[in-house]
Amino acid sequence: MEFPAALFPSYFDVGPPREEGGPAPVAGWGEHGQVLEGGPGRRQVQPAFVPRRGATGERWEAADAAAVPVLLPSEDCWIPSPAPQDILYRSSLCRKLQPGKSGATLDFARQLGHFFVDHPEDAFGSLGRLLHKNFYLGNAKLKVIVSRNSTIRMTALVEDIDRLEARRGCPRQHLAPRLRWFSHLCRDWLFEVPLGLLADCLHEELTQQWSSLLFDDSLTGGALAWLPPEDGVTSVGRLVHPGGQALNHLYFQDVVLEELPHTRGSPAQFELSGRIQQVAAARVDGQDFVGVRSDYHCGVWRVPGKTRAAPAPLQVIRTDVPASCLTVSPHLPGELSVCTQSGTVYLWSIETGLQQLRHDPQTMFFRDHSPWRWSDFTAHPRVLSCADRTGLQCLDARAPKRCHFDLFKVGEEAGCQQGERVVLPMYLGRAHPSQHLVTTQFSVYVLDERLPLVPVLKWAHMMKAPPLFAHVMPGKQGRSHKVLLGASRTQELLLLQYRDSFWGVSSGGSQSACQLVGTPQKLHSIAGCLQHLPTQLPHRHHLLQQRLTAPAAGLAATLQEDEPHKSMLIFQLSEAGDVFCQRLTHKAAQPPAPTSRDEATTAPGSSPLFEAPASSPHGLGALRYRRWLRALSRACREPARHTWLPSLSQRRLFTRRDLEGPAGPSSLQRQMHQRLRQTMQEGGCIQCWEPLALQPPPLPQTLEPAGGPDPLSTRLTAAWAGDWEQWWEERSSFSVAQRQRALRERRRRQKRAQGRRSLSASFTSSLTYQSELSELSDMGPSLLSPGRPPILSQEGSPPAGSPPVHSPPASPAPDEALLSSQSLRCRGIPKERRKTLRDYLSVWAEGPPEPPEPLGSQASQLCIPSSQSQLSSASQPRRKRPRMGF
Amino acid sequence: SSNEHKLNFKKSKEACLNYIQDALLQKQWKRAAEFLTCYVESLEKDYSREHIGPSELIWRIGTEILWHHSQSNMKEFNCFMEQMKTLGVKRYLKVCLEHVFHLLCNGQIDEAYQNLSLAESWRFGEQTAIQDKEMKMIQAYRGLLDYCSWSKQKNILLEHGEDGFSDLAVEQEMHGYFRKAAVNLKEIIKIPGVWDVFVRCYVDLLEFYGDHNEARQVLNEYAYNSKFPANPNAHVYLYQFLKRQGESKKSLISALKILHDIVPSHELMIDFNTMLQKSKKREKRRVGLEVIFATLDYAGWKENAKAWSCLSRQVKQIVISEKHLDWIKQEWNSRKDWWPAFHFSRYLAKRNWQENKSLSYEKALVAGILLGKGLFFF
Repeated sequence: MEFPAALFPSYFDVGPPREEGGPAPVAGWGEHGQVLEGGPGRRQVQPAFVPRRGATGERWEAADAAAVPVLLPSEDCWIPSPAPQDILYRSSLCRKLQPGKSGATLDFARQLGHFFVDHPEDAFGSLGRLLHKNFYLGNAKLKVIVSRNSTIRMTALVEDIDRLEARRGCPRQHLAPRLRWFSHLCRDWLFEVPLGLLADCLHEELTQQWSSLLFDDSLTGGALAWLPPEDGVTSVGRLVHPGGQALNHLYFQDVVLEELPHTRGSPAQFELSGRIQQVAAARVDGQDFVGVRSDYHCGVWRVPGKTRAAPAPLQVIRTDVPASCLTVSPHLPGELSVCTQSGTVYLWSIETGLQQLRHDPQTMFFRDHSPWRWSDFTAHPRVLSCADRTGLQCLDARAPKRCHFDLFKVGEEAGCQQGERVVLPMYLGRAHPSQHLVTTQFSVYVLDERLPLVPVLKWAHMMKAPPLFAHVMPGKQGRSHKVLLGASRTQELLLLQYRDSFWGVSSGGSQSACQLVGTPQKLHSIAGCLQHLPTQLPHRHHLLQQRLTAPAAGLAATLQEDEPHKSMLIFQLSEAGDVFCQRLTHKAAQPPAPTSRDEATTAPGSSPLFEAPASSPHGLGALRYRRWLRALSRACREPARHTWLPSLSQRRLFTRRDLEGPAGPSSLQRQMHQRLRQTMQEGGCIQCWEPLALQPPPLPQTLEPAGGPDPLSTRLTAAWAGDWEQWWEERSSFSVAQRQRALRERRRRQKRAQGRRSLSASFTSSLTYQSELSELSDMGPSLLSPGRPPILSQEGSPPAGSPPVHSPPASPAPDEALLSSQSLRCRGIPKERRKTLRDYLSVWAEGPPEPPEPLGSQASQLCIPSSQSQLSSASQPRRKRPRMGF
Repeated sequence: SSNEHKLNFKKSKEACLNYIQDALLQKQWKRAAEFLTCYVESLEKDYSREHIGPSELIWRIGTEILWHHSQSNMKEFNCFMEQMKTLGVKRYLKVCLEHVFHLLCNGQIDEAYQNLSLAESWRFGEQTAIQDKEMKMIQAYRGLLDYCSWSKQKNILLEHGEDGFSDLAVEQEMHGYFRKAAVNLKEIIKIPGVWDVFVRCYVDLLEFYGDHNEARQVLNEYAYNSKFPANPNAHVYLYQFLKRQGESKKSLISALKILHDIVPSHELMIDFNTMLQKSKKREKRRVGLEVIFATLDYAGWKENAKAWSCLSRQVKQIVISEKHLDWIKQEWNSRKDWWPAFHFSRYLAKRNWQENKSLSYEKALVAGILLGKGLFFF
């Protein structure tokens, strides 16, 4: 391979990076970088210049609106990995979590509690058995005198604990003395494992979980591989992917590449003893070698190319320290390189075993705490590249101590930013024998071994999460090479093209300096299909969302060049074990075609995936989705009983009293509630609990239909049966009529009462009262249509007067529409009042509404989101009325 | 509440930016342009202390959109760039340079030259280190364009010279271009960096005016100064210069020897090998064998028929002459554990035979000698 005759100009400095870093949202746009003079012939009238970035590339367009599942979801249900809300202290979730800042508070106490509940045998086994006769947990009083001497009633203690849980986050929370007394007494002897030791271990685990939530580098490289068909003769390739509940099964699945790739036959399956973190593959001499890495084991399989024979496991090694890298040599059969987190690099040959090339717990160029190491092959089969977060070095396996050179350094040499770190290095041998790809969290570099330290290409990729996966598809005969970058947590996929010969096939495609061509292109992520799927029941939607937004775990792709329509197939693996696929089709070079179609199809709301007829390829995708959804719901139904219901405990939604029966709280209780709320709002204390004398008599529960089962149980019955929607229709039409009657009734009463009102009541407030009521009575069923169920649900669902379930008054979308200045202007609200109004309304848009006041004022709340907003601004002074009366 | 206002403003700004980014990554230039017109508002109240401010954002996004938008044209682009130049002092030179690059890529050399001259005369307070670098780059590119004009004039003169007619004015002009180009090019190549284009142009100028010493010095400096990166092209240029000068074999060989030490897989190694093989000295022939073996270690040369024929010729020579068989043995010793699998596998034999018969012959010959009786290449 020739070395380019001239490279793009660049400065070369040494030392640590000087440029202040940080994620720059658009740093990759609008720059040519440098230009290079070089034309087809030197004897031209005008010199021709080519840019480093910005030349036209190939046009690839997505064939479908979303990625489509390739495999059906596996039988066993997937257990999602912990999310931030699982291990963070609850109140700190409200604060925005900023990446890089370790201000997060981990919920240590809750996790320890979980441990005690989930593993009582391990926590208190022996003493529990010894003492269980002496602890009594019943409600009844202890009567037998004999047992009384040696038995304690623990019920009160348990109640105290429950209460503690309920008061979580309250600033006035005091430890119950009884609890303190108990824990003081038994802290030293009750626990099977000494508490301090247990806490240390738990804390360590928690911080580790948290750091892996922020950035999990064990997945580097990705756990998905595509073994292309032999010489492109057939269209059957093999997908190597992990599966099973713990991702510890390795599958070799035959896949037929057609319009949409589909599986053929059942896969070859191997059960491994650890979660599969990485699957690497390379083809040597017509055979595929597949390396599989889990934390403490690495294995290698051979897949004979031609006969489609079964894959054969060749060798397994075990490591004491987790392995962080496994790559397969593209040069020699049965050679791999392995790195462990202790900083050791091995060359692993099936025939001769392991050869240690380097052992250095320190990083290479400057100190960095990360134990992550990587290694890959280079153009010379005996020279390996070794990487840590600070850079790359190449070393000769024949004399690793003496022969080595620096290939890439995080520093001024490559124009890096401060804080930049290597995320994934990759040998680009299939595209160019001496080029390497290096990704960092900010940029992507292409390096040439023959010119170390100076990147031949650099581009800020602008991805939100560091690219952990990469895949290269070589462009033959002077066409551009395609590089796919994938991130894990955000599932981002980015397609780049670069070229190392300017003039294409026509002039022989001689080597020239590397150019980034075309524009980077974002591809569909797995989660992107969510908006195209048919509407689901809320809990199923949540399940689906959780499943589809699981972090990506691997990436593979293949080019199909033999057809008239060249296409590219991209497979993406998620941590849930799902493999999704998307097809890009190549558009022949043409002037920018009317892109209106693309721009229209991606408009929110439209879902071409499901609108297309079944005969078209889009319809095929829809069919595939339906099948996948059905299989998913089947697979998740069984465990749903175990995992779903307890986690959505009823106790969180309803108080015990709600569940007991329809009887509303007494008037006294309601008064107390009100007082409590008021005091909490003012931040005061309640000194004495004597009921105040001046309280209006409680209003009769006019809104509830008499007789029949109570609404809560009918609603729940309907919801479990699945026809909740129908119940809602009936309910809403019924309750609208009911409420209208009730309102009319109340209006009559209030009119009567107004006559007796004292003159001290302000004139304006009574005026607004009037107008409000007149508007209310005009409000017919058309305004309170079932199109806005959330508004009604606040009123209609719980028994009136009981502490209501707090649901937001309206979905955020209409509120935002309401808040936009344009819509306010449309409503004829003067400019100076728009802000007041917006501020006021934003209260409703943000969180749960303020605790509803007794029924008397609920009418005004009811109409805020639905009726004209002028009304709500008018109701503002009215809220202060009680004070004015004092 | 002004704080809150700032916060809201920041939020909507971020949201807008996300929309733009999304549109750009999906090649929806029109949509991106619409959002950008909204984003321009963020210039008014720039509270951000981020590393890339809104004005740079707008410059970058706007440029990208104008490159691809179906309705944009060069005039609009120039107009936009002029506006962007006035937006930020810190980025003035950078924007100028990028503008020039775009003009150059679109063949508007004269406009580019004007822009470079304008940018060069720009002064604003004290220059930062980055601005200093950018200014040097601007001067270098102006030097390059001057060189292009010089080369054009030279060609005119050469053509006219053939007719026996010389134009004094053209010659004068050409010398003027030379002076301007030489001053600027000379400056940039003193600084450590990769300056292939500039070095080549400068050496061409010097050679035309007969200043060979200066040219040699420049090339030596570019190749051997340890502050510069280990650029193979620097050695290639030096070698080519020496060849043009008709230098002795010895100096050519020593130039290539250094290139061999840096990049054993360079394509000039074939020339190097041929040169060494022809040599009368035993030691040099031995180095030649080392060179060709080392070249074939690399994956890029695996199927290069020329390299294989070089090796087979030399190996054959050695075997026939029955002298220095130990050379082959020594080279082979360090490779015998992996060359068979790397070069002489059954699979490769079959494929080479199908694809390139002459390569197959050469390899078979080498394999026969190296592998001896255990031969399975055929």
